[in-house]
Amino acid sequence: MMENLSNLAMGLDVVTQPYNLMVIVIGLVLGIIVGVLPGLGGANGVAILIPVVVVMPPTTGIILLSMIYWGALYGGSITSILFNIPGEPWAVAATFDGYPMAKGGRPGKALVLAFLAHGVGAIFGVFVLTFFAPILAEIALKFGPAEVFAVMMLTFSAFVGLGGKSPLKTVVSILFGFILAAVGMDIVSGELRMTYGTVVLMGGFNFVVAVIGLFGLGEIFLTVEEGLKVEGIKTKIGLKDIWDGMKDIIRYPKALIMGTLIGCWMGFKPGGATPASFMAYGFTKQASANADEFGKGASAGIIAPEAAAHAAGTSAAIPMITLGIPGSPTMAVIMGGLMIFGLQPGPMLFKEHADFVWGFIASAWMGNILGFFLVLAFAPIFASILRVRFAIFMPLIIYVCAIGAYAVNNRMIDVYYMLIFGVLGYLFKKLDYPIAPMVLALVLGDMAEQAMRQALIIGHGSPLVFFKLPLALPLMVAALIIFFWPVIAPLKAKLFGKKV
Amino acid sequence: MRKADIWVSFLFMLFGIIVVVDSVRLGFMWGESGPESGFFPFYLGVGVVISSLIVFFNVLYGYRKEGAGRPLMPPGALKSILWVVIPSTAMVAITELVGLHIAAALFLGFYMRVVGKIGWVTTMLVAIIAPLSLYITFDKLFLIPLPAGLWGGYLLRF
Repeated sequence: MMENLSNLAMGLDVVTQPYNLMVIVIGLVLGIIVGVLPGLGGANGVAILIPVVVVMPPTTGIILLSMIYWGALYGGSITSILFNIPGEPWAVAATFDGYPMAKGGRPGKALVLAFLAHGVGAIFGVFVLTFFAPILAEIALKFGPAEVFAVMMLTFSAFVGLGGKSPLKTVVSILFGFILAAVGMDIVSGELRMTYGTVVLMGGFNFVVAVIGLFGLGEIFLTVEEGLKVEGIKTKIGLKDIWDGMKDIIRYPKALIMGTLIGCWMGFKPGGATPASFMAYGFTKQASANADEFGKGASAGIIAPEAAAHAAGTSAAIPMITLGIPGSPTMAVIMGGLMIFGLQPGPMLFKEHADFVWGFIASAWMGNILGFFLVLAFAPIFASILRVRFAIFMPLIIYVCAIGAYAVNNRMIDVYYMLIFGVLGYLFKKLDYPIAPMVLALVLGDMAEQAMRQALIIGHGSPLVFFKLPLALPLMVAALIIFFWPVIAPLKAKLFGKKV
Repeated sequence: MRKADIWVSFLFMLFGIIVVVDSVRLGFMWGESGPESGFFPFYLGVGVVISSLIVFFNVLYGYRKEGAGRPLMPPGALKSILWVVIPSTAMVAITELVGLHIAAALFLGFYMRVVGKIGWVTTMLVAIIAPLSLYITFDKLFLIPLPAGLWGGYLLRF
């Protein structure tokens, strides 16, 4: 403990150098803008900056990259709440209750609630990163492929059983996402799958392109359909909003704690901010006494996913820095930056490059605290980026989306995919096929498949390997119960209904 | 709405069948080194076929019983969506020739002026300043080369 503190003090020395402080502020502002702009996400925001940071010292470079992430985590919810346009996939859950609350006349309060939840989640994640990273990494090391697969089953089951949409359509879109992830080179055997002899399909589908298309363009088509009237909700954050937000944070400690813990867990196991926010939303809604209010602007419905998203974001650094396993897609890109500097993430990094590791951790403290005050003070200004006439900013978004889609892999075909995903996203929304689980399946597809195949190899082909004690069995059983919840719930009601 | 629903579930079914066919080609059984390449996609494909089949019949049942229901799009919406889809597709197609930034300038100008009915001055300003600043930011400052197309390299020479 004391050693950690002295290391942290050492890290703070590095971070408070004027040059690094300047980089932190610039990174945060850029990150918030990246977060606000739909289609320009954390992962590509970071990826785009990698060539820029190469000229900097390693610690400064990684600080800049991680600041984009922290800033984007904060910024994503601004447009979700004010425009119903998630700036980031992890801010989608913020639209469920954030936008209704804003529309209902309390946009300032919704923003404050989101930022406070972000702040708490972030600080908790960084706290865990600082003090418990080595211990937690030890536990995660016990996770075999079967456990990883079981955890994924649990996440996807939550979509099916607790998602509220047609369970069958949810299953279809999850499987669709998994299939898209499987297109291209097989990660284990190297065989080409589902390319049907074409070259274009060999590279597979990148989830960032899918996200840009589904959320960016799909959302644009939907708003166009409604008649070009996407007026953002105007707001200022007043002292009353801050006061009310703080009161509500205290009034819903369960949502805050649940969100933070789920987020922390999802960031570290790994899963990432996006599933964390959905999971936290789903579980909090399930556990809430007044679930009816969810979706209509419930405070708890803002707190839980936002705290979870940011806690997941910050704690995604834990497995990345201790094990070399990024806890989220954006963290994977940051890890790519680390490798460019010749820093191999893993347990040895703590010993060999302690100054770098603790500089990074201290910057996470600094950045997340500073970021909170930045968004609180300037949220309306950041939001005003989108308060231009729709016919002006809409083509601009499509333009930036095209840049984003292209820059992911420098492939022209991705820009066409983006257009196709846009139309798909529109159809999915109209016909009630949930988009988020599909995107999630696309992100986690390779990981899930690898875990499943490895587990089966370990179990010599027996599916019983997914039900082994002590970790996999409870996870899997929980996943199955939640998956079949839409069938179980009416049965239960019938059985117990008769008795009464 | 229901007609589109039926069509989409039908297309998902076809999609699933295509996936299953390729998985069978790859082998979906237990191979020398564990599950073969087609193992995971095979079950995904089967799952898609089964689930979309149930969705298909559910919707078909509803269609028989209650008719087509609401239309997929409110009247007139298709036109305004096509006004976005076609120009943006055109932008991507033109990108192959003149590069993304010039194509985007044309797209911005066209959409703002023709569809958005925005004044000439604003249109020209945005259509020129936005691509120019993005070009400078990405291609020049961040050194991220964006598609230049066939002739873009000649047109943007600074």
